[in-house]
Amino acid sequence: MSTTAVQRRRGGLIDRRLAARVSATRRYLFSAVSFGVASTVCVVAQAVLLASVVSAVVLHGATLGGVAARLAGLFAAFVARALFGWAGEAAAQATGATVTSTLRRQLLRHALTLGPVWLSGERAGELSLAATRGTNALTAYFGRYLPQAVLAALAPIGILAWVASEDWPSALILLGLVALVPVAMVYFGRESAARTRRQWRRLSSLSARFLDLLQGLPTLRAFGREAQGRREVAEATEGLRQTTLGTLRVAFLSALALEFIAGIGTGLVAMVLGLRLLGGHVTLYTALAVLLVSPEVFLPLRRAAAEFHASAEGQAAADRILSVLDTDTVSFDDELRGGQPRTQLDDDGHDAFDGHDRHDRGLGARAAEPEQPRAPGTRHAGGAALRAENVEVMFAGRGTPALRGFSIDLAQGEHVALVGPSGSGKSTAIALFLGFVRPVAGRVVVGGHDLATVDDPTWRRMLAWVPQRPHLLHGSIADNLRIADPFASEASLARAIEMVGLSHTVSGLPGGLETELGEGPVSLSAGERQRLALGRAVIRDAPIVLLDEPVAHLDAHAEAALRDTLGPWLESRTVLVAAHRPELVARLDRIVVLPSRREAFDGTGEAPGP
Amino acid sequence: MSEPVRTDPGSAGTVIRTLLRIGAPPWRKLALAGLLGALGALATVGLLAGSGYVVDRAAFRPGLGAIAGILASVEVLAFLRGPLRYGERLVAHDAAFRSLGRWRVWLYDRLEPLAPAGLRGWRSGDLLARLTDDVDTLQDLYLRCLLPVAVTVAAATVAVILVAVVLPAAGGALAASLVVAIVAAPAAAVATGTARGREAELRGRLAAEVIDLLRAAPELLAFGREHAALAELETTDRELTSIARRRAWAAGASGAIVTVCLGAAVTAVLALGVSAVRAHEMGAVMLAVLPLAAVGAFETVPAVATAAVRAADVVAAGRRVLDLASVPIPVTDPEDPARLPDGCPEVDLRGARLRYGPELPWALDGMDFHVGPGTRVGLVGASGAGKSSLVHAMLRFWPLQEGTAALGGVALDALRQRDVRRAIALVDQDAHVFAGTIRQNVTLGRPTANDEEVAAALERAQLAEWVAGLPEGLRTHVGEEGAKVSGGQRRRIALARALLADAPILVLDEPTAGLDPEHGARLVAGIVDDAAARGTSVVLVTHRAEDLERVDRVVVMADGHTAPGPTMGDGETEETLGGIAGTVAPGGAASGGRGRVTSD
Repeated sequence: MSTTAVQRRRGGLIDRRLAARVSATRRYLFSAVSFGVASTVCVVAQAVLLASVVSAVVLHGATLGGVAARLAGLFAAFVARALFGWAGEAAAQATGATVTSTLRRQLLRHALTLGPVWLSGERAGELSLAATRGTNALTAYFGRYLPQAVLAALAPIGILAWVASEDWPSALILLGLVALVPVAMVYFGRESAARTRRQWRRLSSLSARFLDLLQGLPTLRAFGREAQGRREVAEATEGLRQTTLGTLRVAFLSALALEFIAGIGTGLVAMVLGLRLLGGHVTLYTALAVLLVSPEVFLPLRRAAAEFHASAEGQAAADRILSVLDTDTVSFDDELRGGQPRTQLDDDGHDAFDGHDRHDRGLGARAAEPEQPRAPGTRHAGGAALRAENVEVMFAGRGTPALRGFSIDLAQGEHVALVGPSGSGKSTAIALFLGFVRPVAGRVVVGGHDLATVDDPTWRRMLAWVPQRPHLLHGSIADNLRIADPFASEASLARAIEMVGLSHTVSGLPGGLETELGEGPVSLSAGERQRLALGRAVIRDAPIVLLDEPVAHLDAHAEAALRDTLGPWLESRTVLVAAHRPELVARLDRIVVLPSRREAFDGTGEAPGP
Repeated sequence: MSEPVRTDPGSAGTVIRTLLRIGAPPWRKLALAGLLGALGALATVGLLAGSGYVVDRAAFRPGLGAIAGILASVEVLAFLRGPLRYGERLVAHDAAFRSLGRWRVWLYDRLEPLAPAGLRGWRSGDLLARLTDDVDTLQDLYLRCLLPVAVTVAAATVAVILVAVVLPAAGGALAASLVVAIVAAPAAAVATGTARGREAELRGRLAAEVIDLLRAAPELLAFGREHAALAELETTDRELTSIARRRAWAAGASGAIVTVCLGAAVTAVLALGVSAVRAHEMGAVMLAVLPLAAVGAFETVPAVATAAVRAADVVAAGRRVLDLASVPIPVTDPEDPARLPDGCPEVDLRGARLRYGPELPWALDGMDFHVGPGTRVGLVGASGAGKSSLVHAMLRFWPLQEGTAALGGVALDALRQRDVRRAIALVDQDAHVFAGTIRQNVTLGRPTANDEEVAAALERAQLAEWVAGLPEGLRTHVGEEGAKVSGGQRRRIALARALLADAPILVLDEPTAGLDPEHGARLVAGIVDDAAARGTSVVLVTHRAEDLERVDRVVVMADGHTAPGPTMGDGETEETLGGIAGTVAPGGAASGGRGRVTSD
């Protein structure tokens, strides 16, 4: 899906937009700048002391004893500068770290709020890069560039004022050259920023390609095409080298220009001072002090420029992150033709977590007495459980709707199958009731309420879902089951895996329920993964069960066995099963047939039950 | 999670030596960069010391001629410094990027033979971090470690000699403070900055957790677990942040040491200069030169302090990259490969035993399997019976520990893997669909295929009509992991790919999962009949009895070997399937092979 079209760019500088999102930055920025100013004062003090020692000795024949106090002061100025620098470094890092983790949290939260459909259009590798390396790169931007940029505005003015008070002709020379700096920065900076952005995009797509490649290695090998992957890695890296060098050539050029200006400035001041000393128009003390200070006029500017380039990756990453954060659910829905504003995850951490914990404890309290059989479906009130009214679903970038004129009505406790050829929109219909996709026309009604007005997490508490391609998290089998209910007891886990016919498999594993899964040493077959997903649904113990091809990887007899064991559990619940073979559900009240998308969309044919 | 056993890639020195060997740095470019850098640093020393001299000398009002020469030199140095730096940085980066490419390809070459079974225990997010972030960190070996140290040592040595020529004692003092700074500052940075390996590990974990979170988002949201998953991720984040803070503290300390050493150097040479002037050992005109030369000599020292920190990062990243070299490669090509006979080779496995680790149970346990030329064999069995492992063994993804396997009468391990896989086209249960166009995915089977051949393969996989109806046709992008197409379409893309490969043997692992029975049966029937007409052998792994109608023979697997019972594709098949299926039902008696690998 084309995300660029979705992303609404909000104007303004990156730092403003970031600062608006991360409130703590101002305070850190202030302390970092303060330490920088203090360091600059130390530098001027050093110059004054050094010049006065030299002048005293050369012109006035002072002895070592006579200048000892000033020498001590000179050393003290260095020590003070060292300490301020140290504190500045710590403050910079604190800023960066805060921004990094806050933005990472916001980014991931927001990606989850946007939901699975939006995510399927994104590339996990690319978003992951933005969330890890991208946010890390912001440390440099926030911790170093921003304080330095403020300092670059303050320090040269302060130093120039001091130089002017000592020797105004030098101040004039320096002022003239300093004025050139912003011109050079703007000229090269603009060019460089554009290149860096291209660079980041390239890096992002590289990361996504590498992830794709890694995951597809078995397939590549099966077809003897591993050399193609190798070539792709080599070409991608070489391409990156060339564009990076292009970027650096410009970035370094701006550093060169600044260095040039600084060098010429110092050289000119030295020359003019030398000539005026010859004429006796200036004292040795003044000449030396001004000479020593003059490079410091340019230094903050040069540093700011260097940090600007060092943090360019961070700026590009920030742009990407902000574009995700600015994709609000409303505008994302808008792109698919208007939706109501959605309730979002809390944007700022802790309250949401606290609330969530309470909710979990509530669940835990229920799960703590798992031995007592409850009458499922009676815990939650509600009339018609699930209803879709003439719903149309579009996916961005697809010409035809994924679902059109789709209507279905499930009364509480009813068992309905949704059948139809591959690609007829069965999974889309399930996603509709999960709140993962929004209708562009028609409406979805759950328990008497329009789903568009219901808070998704609240609604989803009523649901148990078995997806077509279950995703296993890294962790044990028990961890994977407990995502359905984190406080499920050992006994209820055991009962669930017994019900879905996994207990034999699990007891054969070295660690039993605690065996680690995922890309770990023990992997489950596709059929076992589906059973695990069914197990999750059982543990979820929700009144409405959504099954999406729950037995695609099981044979007829395994399915029959499951039908027998799951039957009583499903009995009192509302069940919507999307399947080619809905036989898993023993008591089917109705079968709804979705027409092939190739056929004309003249409503769905509802077939009578078997 | 339980990490696979890895051997330590060795000490920091070994890691760097190995990295240099693999990266094959363009030494000439690096030397040029070093030279340019050293000259640039010396230009700074000259500029500062020279302008100090100009001012000091001019104070005695000697006349323009006396300072004109040195004034001109100062201007030249001021002019040269920038271009020298510019050259250094460009040349150094170019050198670093070239090595970067070599490291990355090296890593890919290590990863590739491990897939699929050898990569058990590695998270793809973690591997991705190694292939991107860790490899990228390695460039600092040149840019921020070797070069800054070389440049600083060279420039500082020359500066000390110059100062020593003016006043030997001052040269000594400057040398002493430089040595203290160059030794103490990096030491402070390294000693206080803790757990660099831990940081790299946490970064890998964070990347893996982020990918997990984004991939499993549908489940997490459906079960309302998104907050908990985020909280877990934030724990990792917090630990990383606290490490970063400690690190910044250490970096600040080492910077402070450099500044204090500079202060000591400036103060000391100035004090020594004052004494020397008073003792008439040195002309008063040189007094300002000494402290300014000291300032110049220190200019690149902070980079050395950073170099130590970066070196530790490079070693940590290097370890993670080199780690993969120590993972044993399950299957290697023979040195003198045998030639696979032409025509349709037969597959023959006898007494095959296979397991994925000495601690894991047998996935194949005395399996006999034969596919004659041009025959069609159905392979059934409960999940976990070892069907996928049999497929792995046939394709030589994993070696047999016992027993024999032959293809076309030639021992499988005498053949090149490529030849084996050219002869056997596999449609895996989890065949990967790459983020790219439909055409790119299908032509992976045979990159040289022309449009008619692609169209024919799509037709056979019953995709032609769907593709024709897409606005962008074959150029439609399928999304990451084929996320933008349905499960059935994804499987048929994988099928078309295998059909296009036009191999003499076709292995279909659950080709109809995700398809409705009617379509599935029609698809399989079409492919099997087609294969019969072409004289292609077919191994059909399936759960569905209806798929088995057209095969010559059905092999039933249980516990990693052939199960007894009828193996003809007649009416008894259903019964046999029933018996086998019963073994996976709760309370079933048979045990499944564990530790199988699915190419996830």
